[in-house]
Amino acid sequence: MPGRIELIQGTLDLVILQVLQWGPQHGHGIGQAIRIRSREALRIEHGSLYPALHRLEQRGWLASEWKISEANRRARYYRLTPKGRRQLVEEQSRWKQLVRAVARTMKPVKE
Amino acid sequence: MWRFFSKKQATDSELEEELQAHLEIETKQLMDRGLPRAQAEMEARRLFGEQYGSRALVMEATRETGGHRAFARLWQDIRYAARVLRRAPAFTTAAVLSLALGIGATTAVFSIADTIFLRPLPYADAGRLVWVGIRYGDLEFLPSPDYVTWRRNNRVFQDLAATQASLSTSMLLGGSDPGEVHAGRVSANFLDTFAVAPALGRTFTPQEELPHGPKAVLLTDQFWRDRFHGRRDALGSVIPLDGLPYAVIGVLPRSFIYPADVKIDLLTTLPVSPTASHRDRSMSTWAVFGRLKRGVTMAQARADVDMLFAASKRDDPKMFRADNSVVLQHLREHRAGNVRTLLLILMGAAGCLLAIACANVANLLLARWSARARELAVRAAVGAGRGRLARQLFTEIALLIATGAAAGMLLVAAALRGFVRYAAGEFPRSSEVSTDFRVFGIALLVSLATALIFGGLPALRAGRVDLQSVLRQAGRGGAAGGHRVMRRALVAMEVALSVILLSGAALLFETLWHMQNDHLGFRPEQSLTVRVRAAGLQGSVSDALTDGILADMRRIPGTLAAAITQCTPLSRGAFWITFSRADRPLPEPFHRGDGIGVCGAGPEYLKAAGTRLVAGRFFTDGDPPGTLAVINEAAARAYLPGESAIGKQILGGRAGPWKTVVGVVADTKNQGLNQPASPEALVNDTRTANAATVLIIVRTIAGQGAFARALHDELRAGHPGSFARIETLDEEMGELTASPRFNTVLIATFAAVAFLMAVVGVYGVLAFSVAQRSQEIGIRMALGATPGTVLALVMREGAVLMAAGALAGVGAALVLTRYLAALLYGVAADDPVTYAAVVAGLALAALAASFLPARRAALMDPVVALRHE
Repeated sequence: MPGRIELIQGTLDLVILQVLQWGPQHGHGIGQAIRIRSREALRIEHGSLYPALHRLEQRGWLASEWKISEANRRARYYRLTPKGRRQLVEEQSRWKQLVRAVARTMKPVKE
Repeated sequence: MWRFFSKKQATDSELEEELQAHLEIETKQLMDRGLPRAQAEMEARRLFGEQYGSRALVMEATRETGGHRAFARLWQDIRYAARVLRRAPAFTTAAVLSLALGIGATTAVFSIADTIFLRPLPYADAGRLVWVGIRYGDLEFLPSPDYVTWRRNNRVFQDLAATQASLSTSMLLGGSDPGEVHAGRVSANFLDTFAVAPALGRTFTPQEELPHGPKAVLLTDQFWRDRFHGRRDALGSVIPLDGLPYAVIGVLPRSFIYPADVKIDLLTTLPVSPTASHRDRSMSTWAVFGRLKRGVTMAQARADVDMLFAASKRDDPKMFRADNSVVLQHLREHRAGNVRTLLLILMGAAGCLLAIACANVANLLLARWSARARELAVRAAVGAGRGRLARQLFTEIALLIATGAAAGMLLVAAALRGFVRYAAGEFPRSSEVSTDFRVFGIALLVSLATALIFGGLPALRAGRVDLQSVLRQAGRGGAAGGHRVMRRALVAMEVALSVILLSGAALLFETLWHMQNDHLGFRPEQSLTVRVRAAGLQGSVSDALTDGILADMRRIPGTLAAAITQCTPLSRGAFWITFSRADRPLPEPFHRGDGIGVCGAGPEYLKAAGTRLVAGRFFTDGDPPGTLAVINEAAARAYLPGESAIGKQILGGRAGPWKTVVGVVADTKNQGLNQPASPEALVNDTRTANAATVLIIVRTIAGQGAFARALHDELRAGHPGSFARIETLDEEMGELTASPRFNTVLIATFAAVAFLMAVVGVYGVLAFSVAQRSQEIGIRMALGATPGTVLALVMREGAVLMAAGALAGVGAALVLTRYLAALLYGVAADDPVTYAAVVAGLALAALAASFLPARRAALMDPVVALRHE
């Protein structure tokens, strides 16, 4: 599918944390949110969403609980922990630095 | 483990459910858009696959993020290491065994030595406890008059307590079931000095130590439980000891330990006369312990004791000689000093063993890495990272050390249990022996360091080595070349260390042999010593009673001879006096030279003990008691040289009426088995005034058991309330050799293990060398070398190792075994025959060890050997 970008290593975490700051969501919802919010531009690497969710939970950035979903079935809902919220802020600023730094390298050299 | 799996299962099923929920939501969304269910489900699955990969992949990847991952990887490494080690059973067994023996032996020996000799005695504020005495030659004690004055006049001791120098006395416990008890005799302030409070009752009062004061005993916890079943009403009861009533005034705490290394059942008082003086006709020699006043330094204490000693000397200069000096030591130091030599030797032996074990492990590891250089290079080539490789090798080493340490721990536990059982009666604190984890830790660290240095460095290098060169060289000895010199040096060192240990063990063995087989001067077979204790054995009744007992013994079938005596062939009599003869001036009072042991003995003594008469005759029943003497050859040599002893009048004057020498008997080992005989006179006077024990020597062809049963019955019928302890002379000799035997067994065990490890080391190096050089050997044979020359080639390699090691070992042993000299008897520390035997034995073993690999080399088919690559 043309126009789609693979997420850079490590940025998936940021994107997940970003999505979850609007409220608890299950795996399907998170995946959908990433696709929709990136206007289908971001593609999650094969098989990496759920491992990432579990990893983030283990680090204590996410917490999860089982709730009834819109499909009338138990689904696992993830939400940000306070630690995850702090991590999000940190990742955001680091991302901005990265973007600025990469952008600078792309500007034409003035002298 | 089960929980680990069940948890994993739980997370698996949860993950399954989570993914199922994902599909359901997708399906619902699709159905909301109007798709029929079946189609929606299919589409959902397709989308999931497209967006996230297959479910199996997701499951696997998610599981990997689990916290178990690091653990699982470690577990995998350990399993892999175990598999690798299992596949090399010879290497693994040798390494684990070496480690176990090295760590185990060192720890066990130090645990025992530490508990018995070095662990502080369990007394409050033990730092203030000191040992006080005057040194007389090899002995340290304090004469009773000096104790009394020093206790009165000192300014540095809070308390100064005395115990009998002979450590303990056995006394007869009367009653319906007579028995023997071991009593420690102490001054009344003994418990205060050691800051011990009785668990029950009270301590001694000052009146109770007066020579005719009330008689009182304090029971040990053990004795109280055994004899009184731990009943509180034991307090205040009266027990008959040696026929006299003693009041039980208290019970000692369970933790109480007598400061002398002997077993005691109860404490009673020494007779301390407040007016004791050097001018008394007799005095006692006591072991004295002091508790320093708070804040008093050793220097201050020494100055004070020096002043007291000077005053004692002024009081009676004849009592002391110039070489008598005062001794003041911390109690802990005093105890350690007594076993210093033994400890040093054990430490040296254990150190040698640990070094050999480490050398062995180092050697095995070097050989192994050399052999595996190729495998490691291949694994690196197919993508194993250097870190991963190193981690695996270190896991292997760690597993090896852990297994070795665990096996070592088992060895320690078994050794200590064995020791406690074997030595229960011999060492007072043996029940306290427990593993010394400090030494265990040190031994473990040393082995770990060795393994890391010799196993780890090559392992690290293996990751860095140029793959090409290793693959090209491995198997041709190239990669092993660097280690070759080191491995040889290690084996030579092992040989040297085992020469040291073996020489030490051989010297101790010879000592033991001499002690047990040197000319004893008597025949111990069939000879029994019987010590009868009876309440009535005092004063005038004793002769009738002992005659009765003697008659009882003669009635027992099998008795050949029975004699009342004051000594055995292994002791030198009841008194030690200055030799005197009627035709010379009497010696000065308290003259200390020219001593002779005096022992009363009945007419059948010679026959009962199996001692040989050299000249003259022995006593008969008709001789008037106390008029005759028979001296041993040592006495004749020392005091009547070049004269005929028969007919001389000796041992009279102040020592009583003169006695006529009627015979000379052969010397016996009357000072212990490792000493020459000392002068001794037997006199025909067995009146046992004031002796609570009658000693009778019996020669019987009935066994010890049968005789004991018969005597027991006779005594119960004729002399109720008496008790007889029956031992064979062999047993008494066994007690004398117990401690040398203990030393010998320990060192010999070390030496045997060291010997084995050295032989295995030599074998290992040569076997490995043959395997590495198979190609070279093949070429040699192809070029016309005969099996004989190949055999010689390999054997020569072993011989060089052996010779270098043996040379260094003999040199070191000659220096080190000098420290052993104090424990030796009948053999010199530099006995050339011993060293020759040790080296020859080791050479033979090394030769045998090198023969196997040499033969393998000699029988090698050159075609196979060359095709090997």
